[in-house]
Amino acid sequence: MENRILFRAGIRKHKGSLLGIAILLFLVSLSLSTVLTVYLRGSSYIHQEMQRTGFGNLTAWVADVPDMDFLTDSIEAQEGIERTEVQNLLFCDYEANGVESDSEGQLIPWSSGDKTYHFFRDNFSGYREAPKEIAAGTVYVSPSMVSIMNLQIGDSISFPVARGGQNVSLTVAGYYEDPFMGSSMIGMKGFLISEGDYTAILRAIAETGMDSLARNGAMIHIFTEAGSNASIADISRLLNENTPISQYTEFIHSADAIEGFMGILQKAFCGLLAAFALILLIVAMVVLGHSISGVIEQEYKNLGILKTVGMTGSGLIRLQLAQYLIAMLVGMLSGILAAFPASRMAAKMTVTTTGLLLPGDLPVLPCLAAFTAILLLLMGFTVLKLRNIISVTPMKAIRGETTEIRWKPGKKLRMKIEGLSFRLALRQLLSGKKRYASACLIAAMLVFFASLAGRMNTWLGPEGKGMMDAFNPADLDIGVQALGELDSGEMEDMVRSYTDIIDSYLLAMPSVSVNGTNYTANVITDPERFHISQGRTSRSADEVVLTETAASDLGVSIGDNVTIRGDVGNGEFKVSGIYHCANDMGANIGMNREGYLAIGQDKPQLWCHHYFLADPSQRAAVTEGLTESYGGDVHVHENSWPGLFGIISAMHGLLAFMYGMIAVFVLIVTILTGSKILTAEKKDLGIYKSMGCSTRMLRITFSLRFGMAAAIGAVGGTLLAAALTDPFVSAVMRLGGISNFASRPAPSNIVLPGLIVILLFLGCSYLAAGRIKKADMTVLTAD
Amino acid sequence: MKKALLQGRGLTKVFTQGQVKNKVLDQIDVDIFDKDFTIIMGSSGAGKSTLLYVLSQMDAVTEGTVSYQGKELTGLKEKQMAKLRAEEFGFVFQQTHLVSNLTLLENVAVAGFVSRKGSTSQIQSRAQTLLTQMGVEKAENRLPSQVSGGEAQRAAIARAMVGNPGILFADEPTGALNRSHTREVLDLLTALNQSGQSILMVTHDLRAALRGNRILYLEDGKILDELELPAYQAAQDRQREEKISQWLSGLQW
Repeated sequence: MENRILFRAGIRKHKGSLLGIAILLFLVSLSLSTVLTVYLRGSSYIHQEMQRTGFGNLTAWVADVPDMDFLTDSIEAQEGIERTEVQNLLFCDYEANGVESDSEGQLIPWSSGDKTYHFFRDNFSGYREAPKEIAAGTVYVSPSMVSIMNLQIGDSISFPVARGGQNVSLTVAGYYEDPFMGSSMIGMKGFLISEGDYTAILRAIAETGMDSLARNGAMIHIFTEAGSNASIADISRLLNENTPISQYTEFIHSADAIEGFMGILQKAFCGLLAAFALILLIVAMVVLGHSISGVIEQEYKNLGILKTVGMTGSGLIRLQLAQYLIAMLVGMLSGILAAFPASRMAAKMTVTTTGLLLPGDLPVLPCLAAFTAILLLLMGFTVLKLRNIISVTPMKAIRGETTEIRWKPGKKLRMKIEGLSFRLALRQLLSGKKRYASACLIAAMLVFFASLAGRMNTWLGPEGKGMMDAFNPADLDIGVQALGELDSGEMEDMVRSYTDIIDSYLLAMPSVSVNGTNYTANVITDPERFHISQGRTSRSADEVVLTETAASDLGVSIGDNVTIRGDVGNGEFKVSGIYHCANDMGANIGMNREGYLAIGQDKPQLWCHHYFLADPSQRAAVTEGLTESYGGDVHVHENSWPGLFGIISAMHGLLAFMYGMIAVFVLIVTILTGSKILTAEKKDLGIYKSMGCSTRMLRITFSLRFGMAAAIGAVGGTLLAAALTDPFVSAVMRLGGISNFASRPAPSNIVLPGLIVILLFLGCSYLAAGRIKKADMTVLTAD
Repeated sequence: MKKALLQGRGLTKVFTQGQVKNKVLDQIDVDIFDKDFTIIMGSSGAGKSTLLYVLSQMDAVTEGTVSYQGKELTGLKEKQMAKLRAEEFGFVFQQTHLVSNLTLLENVAVAGFVSRKGSTSQIQSRAQTLLTQMGVEKAENRLPSQVSGGEAQRAAIARAMVGNPGILFADEPTGALNRSHTREVLDLLTALNQSGQSILMVTHDLRAALRGNRILYLEDGKILDELELPAYQAAQDRQREEKISQWLSGLQW
């Protein structure tokens, strides 16, 4: 009975700080549940959809196959292959809303009754019934085309089917879910078209012959036998050696690789959010610790009195623990409940980036396991902090021996009339270090994370240069590829009519196999342009550079030899260095032109002319001029990629979300710790007021203390971010094949995060100090 | 004719707790004169401290007005009131309310800095002079927790005096002190008054009341009576004590 009375009284008295802790844990729980839902449900959903839609263990995109049956029979004849399934398609460039694609689109015929794909409602709130048929002249696209080309229903997409302006224009009728290549991280995009349009374009290809730009192709889904021990690399090697598939392959990807492509955005952002949620959890624990210390300080006398009436230290600990447990449970459970709509909202909001409507159902078991672990951790921490109650003796408490001044008077920090508020604040901070340690620590962690994200944002750059550099084997201002009989000299003259070309080189990206495994070769005329991270570039014809991913997958290092097979032969090449290129998640090699020509066929259309312009601002004008003059005979691209804008806006969204959360946390933290400090300093405030200090001066002094504590923390957090960002983020990015991450200092990652957090602490503590106005000087009276 | 420094008219103070209302001051009219050492006495709960805090505007009145040097204080904005406290009012409390993380010298000097009556060095020097006058110059660089109650209270008086206040409010300044420290503090207050400092002091201690030249007696929130005395002289302690005791017994104290 007495416990119930004391428990209720405790809840009533400390409802403010208990509510604060509940809110902090609500935010932690909400972020973590949302991350878990998006991560776990997202991964399993992609896997499940790929299986449902018939994606093989390995899928080869092939073009111009003269006898598909012969090819599939030869594949199926290999050991370990169970079956193949062919999905017809057409390869064709496309352009919409003034944006030209930099990868060929895949026009896939869809017929009535085909259950392969899900179709979205127009507002992406869910799925709708599949259409009875796709009407001629219309097309269904992935929602990621909204972020890539701002494609809306009713917009037209132009497909240059053949030279001489023979374009097919299709109107967007709706969106479908593409679990193979729907993500904005993937350049190749599928378009569902009617059987009639497919047949018509096929006919046009046949009629235009050499002048056709579109190509007949297919996806061959290759299923391995259940229980087969062969790895995908082994199967790929087997097929390259024993079947003619390599002659027709545009690219070949394993199911795992596609899953990796499709999930890379979710995983990267979930990783960042999970790390942020972890920081928030630590911050919540710091606040919890501070709150417990504050409650013990506030209740010191009462605890002593309760001991005089026979209550034990452990009994009092249980009582306090029960109060905190209620706050923790309320916060965490409400966070889990709020994660249901939050996950659905996140899923809906990210459809145009991920291309998928990720399920918003919470993964119950993992969530429960995570929260049980967190709850146990918090309870253990609470008990640890509450153990001080045991040392409270009744007389010590009744005498009020709780506060201690840790500051030692000396000649430093003398009080002066000038800057009195600042000097008083500094003295209060130094004499009550422990009280402000939590604000300092919290500021350090929040600034660390904000600075880390800021460094990532700086690396990414306003136009995504960091990401493009990660994907491009070499720098460029503009790339121009002649597709037909167009003379490269004529093309260059056209470029020069806008601005001078100050430098140029050629790059080709044919498929090759290295030690039997398929890779994209970046073949360059000027190998010094490769972004080399170790060793040296492939200067000689018998040298090759590999990405970190390729070197690791092949199990080779600098100095080793590899066998590379092209479309005319093969040869031994020595690995001379490691370079950056995250295309195909790092499955790339770099060679010089002479080296490639020893194993591959040379044709003018293979080469893309990469130019550096005297006036790079002319890029858009050059692109427009070339496209207008040569239409489908030329492909122009810049050091950018439409899908990048989705990533940049997602990064900005993440930063905005993070700063929002930081603001909420700082507000709660200052209110909680501030109210404890103000309660403890009630007497001092009365004294200052009796001296004639105005409320404004006292509020400024109070907020300056938090500002100074936050400034110390901010310096620590910024230094920590400077030291840890590169190893931490590089390790995560390497998982996606990006090995060129190197942060550099900029005002946005050094000054801004610290400044924002300091200003937030200053502002929030000034607000929290509003109650000083009500501080009554009668606290000093004798009665 | 004495000049009224502080005037209270119709002062009423009601404390409300839930539904319960407790009238502590009831329509009091009072004048506190310049250069007087005015004592407020009364039984416990009579409203002595409340009257002091209402007159010094450390607490708001429920009804009535307070004027200082003819200027009405009730209704002044918080900033104006803070300026008045810094420049015109000095406070000494029963408990030695010094800021715990400031040394005795800093406690005094900071109050001077807030009043802004002089430069840093002038105020610093005045604070040191005051601490010397109070006899605590040797402890000036110690924290309040490192000195005795008497030393702390003397430093508190120095702090109250550093801004050259028009009036010094003292609420039971000797209530928490032992006999010898009480005497030291009372001697200091007497000396200050004799040098022209107006003092308004609440006490229930007869020995403290001896130092005043005017005693107001409060009962049930009203001024029941007042006693005028000549200026204090140590040699006349006995006669003065008898006179006051007689007056107090007439009031059934």
